[in-house]
Order: sequence, then structure tokens, then C-alpha cells
Amino acid sequence: MSFIRKFIEQETINRRKFLLASAMGIGGAAAAGAFGAGPVRAALTDPTIAWSYRNRTNPYWNEIVSGGEAFVESMGKPKGDLVHLINDGSSEKSLADVKALLAKENGNVALAIDTNDAPNCRPVVEAVAASKGYVSTIWNKTDDLHPWDFGDHYVSHMTWSDLGPAEQTARILFDKMGGKGGVVGLGGIASNNPAIERKQGLLNAMKDYPDIELLDYQAADWDTQKANQIMSSFLTRFGDEIKGVHCANDTIGYGVLEALRAEGLQGVIPIVTYDGNPQAVELVIKGDIEATVFTNPHWGGGITAALAYYAATGLFKPSDEPHASREFYGPTIMITPNDAKAFKAEYLDSVPTYDWKDFWGPGNGQIHY
Amino acid sequence: MSQFMTRENLQKWAPLLVLIALILFFSAANPNFLSVRNFARITMAATPALMISLGITFIIIMGSIDLSMEGAVAVCAVVFATLFLSLGGVLNSWAWVALPAALVVGSIFGLINGLVHVRLKIPSFMASLSMGFVGIGLSLLMTGGDRIRVEDPIFRSLLTERVLNFPLMVYFAGLALLVAWFIQSRTRIGRNFYAVGGGEELAHASGLNVNRVRVIGFMIAGVFYALGALFAVARIGIAETATGYNLMFISITSVVVGGTALWGGIGGVWNTLVGVLIVNVIANGMIVIGLPRYVQDGVLGVLVILAVYLSTDRKSLAFVK
Repeated sequence: MSFIRKFIEQETINRRKFLLASAMGIGGAAAAGAFGAGPVRAALTDPTIAWSYRNRTNPYWNEIVSGGEAFVESMGKPKGDLVHLINDGSSEKSLADVKALLAKENGNVALAIDTNDAPNCRPVVEAVAASKGYVSTIWNKTDDLHPWDFGDHYVSHMTWSDLGPAEQTARILFDKMGGKGGVVGLGGIASNNPAIERKQGLLNAMKDYPDIELLDYQAADWDTQKANQIMSSFLTRFGDEIKGVHCANDTIGYGVLEALRAEGLQGVIPIVTYDGNPQAVELVIKGDIEATVFTNPHWGGGITAALAYYAATGLFKPSDEPHASREFYGPTIMITPNDAKAFKAEYLDSVPTYDWKDFWGPGNGQIHY
Repeated sequence: MSQFMTRENLQKWAPLLVLIALILFFSAANPNFLSVRNFARITMAATPALMISLGITFIIIMGSIDLSMEGAVAVCAVVFATLFLSLGGVLNSWAWVALPAALVVGSIFGLINGLVHVRLKIPSFMASLSMGFVGIGLSLLMTGGDRIRVEDPIFRSLLTERVLNFPLMVYFAGLALLVAWFIQSRTRIGRNFYAVGGGEELAHASGLNVNRVRVIGFMIAGVFYALGALFAVARIGIAETATGYNLMFISITSVVVGGTALWGGIGGVWNTLVGVLIVNVIANGMIVIGLPRYVQDGVLGVLVILAVYLSTDRKSLAFVK
């Protein structure tokens, strides 16, 4: 039974360490107060920059992180200096990683994070604020949580509203169809917020087009293979009735295009997608896709890290900024065959060098609930 | 009556009956279902899954399990696409070398898988699951998360060219099915799979090198995974880490629903063909009759329970773990 004894001993030591650490923490805070550091601690020097995200398999997150790396490099550091906290879709791991990093760096952290789901945002932000680090979040946050409730330590939150752009792609699609005929839709994972908004965008656009009929809308889970299979089944079910396809993202669009290609229908049935991945932009130039929407994840990944970093180093004081600078929508750029070439030249052929101190220029205004 | 309704008979014919019943049901619900064009679509969607399922069939017949297919497919697809593009990107140049190279990569992957399982004495589900993760990581390392487009019209003719209304890839898949059937029924290694699955101790006592059979089994499975990867790339025109996504669930479901017993020794490639068709008919039919797609996962789950129930001789089982 020695392992049980060992475990108990270890736990006892851990608890002792924890108590000591807490006492020191309180003492330290008191001492800092006594020496007149003020309610806001002086800016951090050379904080560790970290990005916490799902994983790199997904092209979207890959772009986000490449932006984070570009930002780190812009300061003359090797991109390996960016700490990657990969949660693989687990909120528990996301929070545990953040806490571990805060403990290791003693709070000297500038963190950019998507907390994986909305409820996880609060504990993450609270943990960072408690150890006087700085955090900027994207995508997931509950509506009752606001950066300005945490002084300077919760720097900013950025998200993207897909409702408007998805509606716009639907209008482009309907116009291409001549304003009448049957449409099928392929959505993302049904419970995902962007999937819900992109579907709603399609439905909103339909109100102005009485002759457009939505034949069916199925969840393709953002997956190319699934989308391919669903589209070919749609062709069986509706045949010639299908005059247009609304896809919730580019990867779904690729699967749909191939299902159409297999039937010799490529270019006959117009499709619109979302996300503006480089390959989708190529397809827009070729005329295979009528429209996609670029949300500039590279900029999003860089600027989120930059916000946390420059707030931490004291370049700006978040609490002096208006609310619109602390909760804002990310950029969306519509890409159609007319402007796809120009878009590609500007954003894709060479990744633009962004001014990582222009925090709010490309954004889309304050988040409204 | 009872003569025909024996468990053996039921076990043997139930999958085919289920397939026929499903086809009749979907056709009654929507006549469009019963058309050559739709069967072409179903078979087209089924080809990559059929290859993976054939590979895993041999492993399951041996009484082992292989969960590495998603990683293996990702690696094979990415290696194929990378090599194909770097050697010219069109099939009528040296780029054709990428095709056999992918099969070699698949067999090597299977070899490592088998050796980890046999030499390190790690249970096959754990060894292969881990190898699957290694494969995903490896392909991610090679692609950096990007997708590789394979647009050569000659390679893509596997999808776009049709003979008698069915795309070329369906015929190649049929050929691979015959090869699998040949391995199963006409070769010594095929019979040895059944020997190992039917009773490993007995096979060992009869002088069979069980470990060797296992390793060869994983290698053959690896080659079929590579074939599946090639068909998947031909179907979508994209090679990426996610190429193998979802194939673990689909292939194992197909094999089990087809009537190959998880305990080993029973079933074969024809069962697998029926199983793959059942799974794909459901996937297609659900959409064709207008049910939400997520219902299909539930239906498949019920079918798996039913299939395992039918293929299990409960009298011989003292306990289930």
C-alpha cells in the first residue's frame, strides 16, 4: 500500500505549498500596495505571448496562428517565441493550460485566446486578471461578460457577425439564378454559432425573393466528404429543381463542387461559400464559386495577440479606451468574380504586412447584443 | 420453418435482407431513389469507404482491431499528392510513380502498426489507435495544415469519366474487391486469417507463426487504406489531414453491419461489400426522403447493436467485458 501513502504525502506537500504560495501572494499584494504601486500594476516587461486555440489541422486556425507568429516576428523575435496552447476542442484543457502558463510565468503573460466555448471565457479571464496578466479573446464569450468589468486586464473581445455577409452571399446567389428557382443549403455543425448565423442569413435574404424556394437545408458539419455525399443525394431527390447552392463555408463548397463535377453540372448550378480560403478565392476567379466572404483570420490572430501584448507593455491603457474599442466585430470582405483578382493580389499573393499597432482600423464597429 | 430460421442462416443472410429492405423502403418513399444515376452516386460515395472496410475486414477476421485508418489515409493521401505534384502533376509523366508509392507507404504504415502490436505486445486497438494519431500528426507536419489540390484531368477521370453510367473509380474498386476476395479465399495467408481468428491457441499449436500472420494482415490492410486514400483524393480532388476523417466509424460500422463478427473467424469481403452498401444507402436515402442527416447516425447505431447481437453466440460467452 506504499503508493497510497506516497500519494497522501504528496497531496499534503502540495496543499502546504499552495497555502504558502497563497500567503505569499496576499503578502506580496499587500507589500506592493504599501510601496505605492497603485491599483493598476505597472506595465509588464517582456511578457510571454501565448495563443490558445483548437488545433492547427483546421485551415482557419492555421491562419489565425500564422497571424500570431507574424506579430511576434514583427518585433524582431523568432516565431518560436509564441507559446501555443492547444486545447483540441476541450474547454477544460483550455483553462488548465492557461492556469499552468500563468503559474509558470508568474502572471507575466499576454494571452490571445478562443476559449472553445462561451461559458469557459469567464474562468479564463478571471484567472488571467487574478494573476495580473493580460488577455484578449475572440469568438466565444457570454453576453454578460465585458472587458470593461475587469479594468485593464481583459483587454478586448473580437467576434464576427456572419448574419449580414451570409445574407449578402445569398442575394448574390439569387440574382445569379434570376431571382427564381429551388435552392439547397449545406450548413456547418448545427449547434455552432457561425452555422446558425449563416443559415439565418440565407433565410433573411429569402424574404425579398418570393420566387426562391428553399428545397432542403442539411448540416454538413463543415466537412468536405460529408458535403459531397449530401449534395449528390440532393441531386437524386430534387434533380433539375436545384438552381443554386448556399454553403456555410468553403470546405463544404469544395465537396459540393466535386459532386456537381461528377455529374457534369459544374458551372451550371451556381454556388456561394464563406471564409475566403485561398483555394476558394482561386475558384471564384475561375467562376466556379459566385461569392465567398473573407474574415481575415491572419489579421485577427495577429491583432488579438498585439492587443494583449501592447496593453501589457503599457503602449495603451485599455480602460481609457471607449467600449467600441474593447468589444468589436472583425473585418469581413465580400469576394465576387469581379473583385477576386484584386483581392488575391492584395491579400493572398503576398501576405500584407500589417501595422500591428493599428488595432481598430480594419474592424467593423462595436458588438451589439 | 425452424430449419431455415437457424441462427447460422439468419446470420448469413440478414445483412443482405436488410440491404434489400432498405432499398425497397427508400424507393417506396421516393421513386427517384431507384435510379441508375442514384446508384452511381451511392457507389461513388462508397468506394473510399469500401477500400478501408476491406482492409479492416482481414484484421477483424483475425480477431484483432485496427483503428489507425484515419491517420493511415491522411498520410497516404498527403504523400501521394505531394509526390504527384512534385513529379509533374499529370498522370502521363513520371507522376504516376506517386500511385504505387502511396501503396508502399500504406504497407509500411501497416507494417509498423503490426510490429508495434506484435513485438511490443500492445493490444491491437491501442497500438493502432496510437499509430492513427501518429499518422494524423505526420500528415499535419507535411502539409502544415494546408490542403493539396490534385487537378490533373487524367487522374480525376476516375470520377468524371463514366462507363455504363458508373464512374471509372467504381470499376477499379470492384477490381480491388476481387483481389481482396482472392486473398481471402485462394491464398494461404487468407486461410490463416480465419485460423487465427477462429482459435489462436490452436493455430499456434498447429505450427502457425501467428505473429507473422498478424503483421502481414496489418500490411495488407495498410495497402487497402492507401487505395482508399487514392479514391478519396480522386473523388474530392483534395488531399489533406482531414481526408480520412470519419472513416473509422464508417468502416467499422460497415464491417460489423455486414455480418463479420468482432470475435474473429466469421465473415468476409462479401459481407463487407453488403455492409458498406447498407451504410451508404442509409446515408443517401435519409437525404433523399428528406430526413435530417443526424437521424442517420442513430439508425446506424441501432443497426450495429442488431448486427452484433445476431453475430454473437451468447451460449458460448460466459461474460462480456
